[in-house]
Amino acid sequence: MSVSEKPILLVLAIVSAPFSPAAADDATRQKGEMIFAEQCSGCHGAAGEGTADNYPNPLFGDKPTIDLAELISATMPEGETELCTGDDAVAVAEWMQSAFYSPKAQARIHPPQKRLSRLTVSQYRNCVADIVESFTSSSQPGDRRGLTARYYKSRRFRDKDKVIERVEPVVDFDFGAATPDAEKIPEAEEFSIRWEGSLIVAETGWYEFALKTENGGRLFVNDPRTALIDAWVKSGYDTEYRGSLFLLAGRIYPLRLEWFTFKEKTASVGLWWKPPHGFDQPIPARHLTPRTSTQLLVVNTPFPPDDRSDGYIRGTSVSPEWDEATTFAAIEVVDKLWPMLRRIVPGKDLEERSERLKQFCSTFATRAFRRPLSEHERNVYVDRQFETADTAEDAVRRCILAVLKSPRFLYREIRGENDSYTRASRLSFALVDSLPNADLLQAAEKGKLDSDKGVREQAIRLVNSYRGQIQLHRFLRVWLNLERLEDIAKDAQAFPHFTPDIAADLRVSLELLLDEAVSGDEDGFQTLLTSDETWVNDRMAAFYNIGLQQDAGAFGKVAFEPDLRAGIVSHPYLLSGLAYQRTSSPIHRGVFLSRGILGRALKPPPDSVAPLPPDLSPSLTTRERVGKQTSPAMCAGCHKMINSLGFALEEFDAVGRYRETEKDKQIDVSGHYRLRTGETAEFNGANELAGFLVQSQETHRSFARQLFHHMVQQPILAFGPQSIDELAQFFADHQLSMKKLMMEIACRAAEHEQP
Amino acid sequence: MNTRRDFVKQLGLASATLPFISNLSVFGSPSSGKARKQRLVVMFSPNGTVPWDFWPDEEGSDFELKRILQPMAEFKDRTLIMKGVCDKLKGDGDRHMRGMGCMLTGIELFPGNIQGGSDTPAGWASGISIDQELKNFLQANDQTRTRFGSLEFGVMVPDRADTWTRMSYTGANKPIAPIDNPYQMFKKLYGQMKDRQHLTSILDDVHEDLQRLSKVIGKEDRQLLQEHAQFVRAMEQQLQAGDTSELNHVVPQLSAGVQKENDNIPQITKMQMDLLVNSFVNDFARTATFQITNSVGQPKMSWLGIDESHHTLSHEPDSNKDAHEQLTKINTWYCEQLAYLTKRLAETPEPGGDGSLLDNTLILWSNELGQGNNHTLDNIPFVMVGNGLDFEMGRSLKFPMVPHNRMLMSIAHGFGHHLETFGKPELCADGPLDLG
Repeated sequence: MSVSEKPILLVLAIVSAPFSPAAADDATRQKGEMIFAEQCSGCHGAAGEGTADNYPNPLFGDKPTIDLAELISATMPEGETELCTGDDAVAVAEWMQSAFYSPKAQARIHPPQKRLSRLTVSQYRNCVADIVESFTSSSQPGDRRGLTARYYKSRRFRDKDKVIERVEPVVDFDFGAATPDAEKIPEAEEFSIRWEGSLIVAETGWYEFALKTENGGRLFVNDPRTALIDAWVKSGYDTEYRGSLFLLAGRIYPLRLEWFTFKEKTASVGLWWKPPHGFDQPIPARHLTPRTSTQLLVVNTPFPPDDRSDGYIRGTSVSPEWDEATTFAAIEVVDKLWPMLRRIVPGKDLEERSERLKQFCSTFATRAFRRPLSEHERNVYVDRQFETADTAEDAVRRCILAVLKSPRFLYREIRGENDSYTRASRLSFALVDSLPNADLLQAAEKGKLDSDKGVREQAIRLVNSYRGQIQLHRFLRVWLNLERLEDIAKDAQAFPHFTPDIAADLRVSLELLLDEAVSGDEDGFQTLLTSDETWVNDRMAAFYNIGLQQDAGAFGKVAFEPDLRAGIVSHPYLLSGLAYQRTSSPIHRGVFLSRGILGRALKPPPDSVAPLPPDLSPSLTTRERVGKQTSPAMCAGCHKMINSLGFALEEFDAVGRYRETEKDKQIDVSGHYRLRTGETAEFNGANELAGFLVQSQETHRSFARQLFHHMVQQPILAFGPQSIDELAQFFADHQLSMKKLMMEIACRAAEHEQP
Repeated sequence: MNTRRDFVKQLGLASATLPFISNLSVFGSPSSGKARKQRLVVMFSPNGTVPWDFWPDEEGSDFELKRILQPMAEFKDRTLIMKGVCDKLKGDGDRHMRGMGCMLTGIELFPGNIQGGSDTPAGWASGISIDQELKNFLQANDQTRTRFGSLEFGVMVPDRADTWTRMSYTGANKPIAPIDNPYQMFKKLYGQMKDRQHLTSILDDVHEDLQRLSKVIGKEDRQLLQEHAQFVRAMEQQLQAGDTSELNHVVPQLSAGVQKENDNIPQITKMQMDLLVNSFVNDFARTATFQITNSVGQPKMSWLGIDESHHTLSHEPDSNKDAHEQLTKINTWYCEQLAYLTKRLAETPEPGGDGSLLDNTLILWSNELGQGNNHTLDNIPFVMVGNGLDFEMGRSLKFPMVPHNRMLMSIAHGFGHHLETFGKPELCADGPLDLG
């Protein structure tokens, strides 16, 4: 493993603070309180809550006292900055920290609480798919990749005509006028091929499929009977046929492609797709498995987006649009489920089937409500529907509609119980973003979740499942804020070879790094931050001048400028995304590092400022230009931190290519960061920066806090004021194992008593 | 009178809920036109006819119906029999394919990979079909726009999409799959209304449960549930209001559990025809196709005591009298279906107008071939029924082997859609046929 081979360079120096405030004592704070009342409260309010006329925004944040003191000293009171400097400024900062400014003080003033939450949109879709899947069978991707191909020497898929069977990685063939196998398929004029297996989907969204052929074919995805693309009849001159499907991440879907050529001059067939964030390409082998799987029920009714105002997705609000979406989604489920029930609930005659359908509805409700039905629930949601409807079909439809519209399905923990079923749900939602499967419900029923050990055993099972990996992978995308980076485009003059294909390749390269980190055992987090290898295909290799020894199209891992690069911070996808069309952007990179990785709270700039155009100051380097623009005291409060993090990545240009000079000047990659403790870390370039980040307690805290919010969707401080520190410590104590951290979070959430 | 929008205003609901009402409403925006309605139905049966038991000997309004057309006796004065109309399209594809694909499009098939017999392979038709052309024409006008515009019914159409199983096209290479499952058609026509009924019946339970739960939950969280309960209540009220305004509409009852099987063809045909008539009563569409099996269709009419499949029989030479006796029976049965549809339309009053549905509907009975054993595309057994287009009915006509494009043009002109040509322009040189 490359990570362990490379020593983490701790060349960075921890420098102590320029003037160290004496350990805060009551006297200092009293002094600070007095000064604040005198000089500050007129604008900021008595307790920093703000005043409508002067400065309406409340004062809170996470600057260390020393930064706060410097800021006060340099900028406050406005227009009379000489009034409060030196020790006075330190005293004010000390008092502010303890009274209202710091996150701890804020938690004391506004104690965070767990709130009743509904299912998030992603949870809704997962829950529905999982309930239905629990009646059929579930499949994991397995280790083999590609599809099973069967070749026939006629245009009919008859066993007696089958001449070849093998696994093929990718479907993208141009046979021309020849036969694929002169011996087994003597006539090029007529033969056919069927590819079968499953599609591995790691990201939720709309997938556009394309069948490219001069001949006839049809594609079935997640529906063995109705073709997504039916181009069996070749007619006229079209050679490309398309169809789209909405698919959920963390699952595999049955896929079958049937193709034939008959009396045509030439033959070709390609199975292509355009995944979310991707570009048109043959479906890569890593997304195909020869394993078979069963049809899943995927809800594609659009929902309004979930609330994210606290920085993480949660379900603490409802709206008419959301309620309406749940209605349409329920109708969609019923419509898709009813035909599937022919196989799930067979029956000799109507009467027998009707009884079994009723049983099905009870089980459906039990799984949807995540616990055994009470008598009242059984009566309202099942019995009553079967008594009042005209036919069994109507009864099933009403029952499923009622269950899916029920608050008992739509909300988490609506009855306030705290028993083994509650623990099962909390575990499952935290680790796989969905309701407990039948196994977990059974474990709850048997009392296996009543002990700490039992809970952990189930957590291990979930965290190691494919869905558990996807939950972590999904979080890493949030942690890296990838949705902000979509549609990377560069100035065609400055970077003529940076095509959309390259941008999409970079995304794949990063996703593969995330994959590697997620499926690796203990050192995934180390890999993310410090790996000196990069996933590269031939197109990327050509663009970045990387020597490459592998097949065209496929991605392989190579040491790409290992002395200069380390993990995500110098990954060309992030470097290009966090840059302008022509120039790098130390500010974007610095904001990403400070807010995303180190977890610093940043407020928007006081005034919106247009960046200084490079053309206005043609002799300045990017570093000089940015430093100049953000030098006013009003900006420097945050930009001192932002810039000096971002500057460490300045040797990478707007497309993430290494450069030694800019404007004929040597690039300066020195950077530093003042920790919340007041000390300063210094580093040169990406490698040292990554070395600092991976061992920094601030990185661990931020990662643990964000992961908690992603998994639990409740404020972490509602789970105890020390929660963040404890989890950060746990993370550090367990070799930065992301899976162990996930388990710890899930177990804490599962065991937590209602406040 | 309150419109739905007024009702919503009275409730003070967010405009965001408006789409919900119109989405769930079956009777979303019926056309408000006062002008006379005009409709077209194309009924298809396969494999040609038995000419000597089909074509009347006489020409003009004084004629005798032969055996196959006997079921239409009751409606003889509303029937137009058109000999001498031919499918003159050449090019790729066997005659069953061209007969089917060019029947309503009047234009050649594309080259392709579908081969029948020894002819060159072909693909789909290279143009729009007349029913879809007229649908577009009628949907473009507020006065004649309906919820669906057109409906495509089928009976026992094989589960494969190819040139033999499709006759309606929205454009070149764009065949429409007919719906041959009456329950699926019912769902398309009335499904949203059933959904509304189901929703209405369960929302009260949901609302009650929300109230119940909000009593046991903490005060801060209660607000969320009460907000949610309001939305549920509002939707309930909308649904109830919607229902009362639709009580006048006719929803047919279907017998349950009829499977797609050869022996159920008569029952499925009747169910589908009833749905078709009902959809006209509700003004869901002004054009429809009704495709019984497919080109080269192979039903075994066991209910007539015939064990051989239709297409197989149709290849027998004229000299095989037994086979042709059976073919005559088969075609007579198809004509009985035409008569049933005619009767239903004749018995059903035109809603909001004078007369019956048949007074405002033209049925075209059509076939992909003239005769099965010689696969001729001449003398396609075209029969028109009904008074929808003001043609002079009750006649037996004999044309001098004219291209059927001209007949398709006549239909379009009958709707006031004055096309210069339809399908292959060269075949339209002499303009629409004069049908009075």
